[in-house]
Amino acid sequence: MDKNFQKKKILTILIVFSCVILIYGIKSLKKHFSPYPPSSASARTKGNPRAAHKITEYMDFQCPACAKGAEILHTLLKNNSKEYYLEVKYFPLDMHIHSMRAARYAECAAQQGKFWEVHDLLFSKQPEWRNLLNPEPVFTEILKTAQVNPQKLESCLANPQVNEVIAKNKEEGKTLGIQSTPTYFINGKMIVGTVNLEKELK
Amino acid sequence: MNALVLIRILIGTVFIVSGTEKLLSPYQNFLYVIQGYQILMPPLDEWEARFFPWIELMLGIFVVLGLWTQWALRGVLVSMTMFLVVVGQAVLRNLPIGECGCFGELISIPLPMILLMDSFLWIYTAYLIIRIERTVRFSLDEYFSKEK
Repeated sequence: MDKNFQKKKILTILIVFSCVILIYGIKSLKKHFSPYPPSSASARTKGNPRAAHKITEYMDFQCPACAKGAEILHTLLKNNSKEYYLEVKYFPLDMHIHSMRAARYAECAAQQGKFWEVHDLLFSKQPEWRNLLNPEPVFTEILKTAQVNPQKLESCLANPQVNEVIAKNKEEGKTLGIQSTPTYFINGKMIVGTVNLEKELK
Repeated sequence: MNALVLIRILIGTVFIVSGTEKLLSPYQNFLYVIQGYQILMPPLDEWEARFFPWIELMLGIFVVLGLWTQWALRGVLVSMTMFLVVVGQAVLRNLPIGECGCFGELISIPLPMILLMDSFLWIYTAYLIIRIERTVRFSLDEYFSKEK
């Protein structure tokens, strides 16, 4: 009886150790191949590029938490523009039917130098379009307010490269292990959600 | 092989998949899910996000292999009870949670559906414990007890 108990105990320890080694091994490998979010020309940026604190945000325009996160970061950068550098990347979730369309508008606005205007308006007016079946009238109003050139916008939307930029951002986010929005990387440290963002920024 | 053994392996596999998925993705994702249920205060939420997936994985492995089967199944039953309480209170409070987050990004299951699934799994697990002598067939526990 005692001998069997000992054998079971040894086997248990072996199983636990093997699992710990296996999981940590896989995690280290994953981290080795994609340690930090890469900087890319497609990212929309704000603040001081030489700042000590670099924030990379993966967001979805239709996600309410992202709207709250955008507000927090807007205030943060307004008051500390020299200390922070913000990069925004697209991560439209499949569950949000209008987020891809909103991201395409933002990306096309970016090509006219109007990214932040459209970004801020899409989030501040999000409650007006989030639950609509057809959010197009609100989007049109936003683009008009941001003074986005409609002709240039049309030709940009027809360009498949816009979708590619968004898809590339999302793919990159998935590689980093992102599952939800908003997800932030503050100097490489992953933060998910606005509660944790506020905690981290304190 | 009897049906109880198959159910035992199935329940264990669910725990292995769920635990492994959470462990292999950054713990911050699971922390975000836990915070959505608004039941645990910091730092308990962070502890749960870091350690609970390990418990899930270990319980799953022990249940599948049939090592310390009765204790592992009791652990599964306690975990299931916790899931039911946490998800149930979220449904009652009408918290804005789209899906349970139980399997990370692998599968997306809405809360009422997960309540139903967990209830069935809870009943099956309880039954496995009651019929433990048949549940431990084809298990390491059986192997060691025969070795005596």
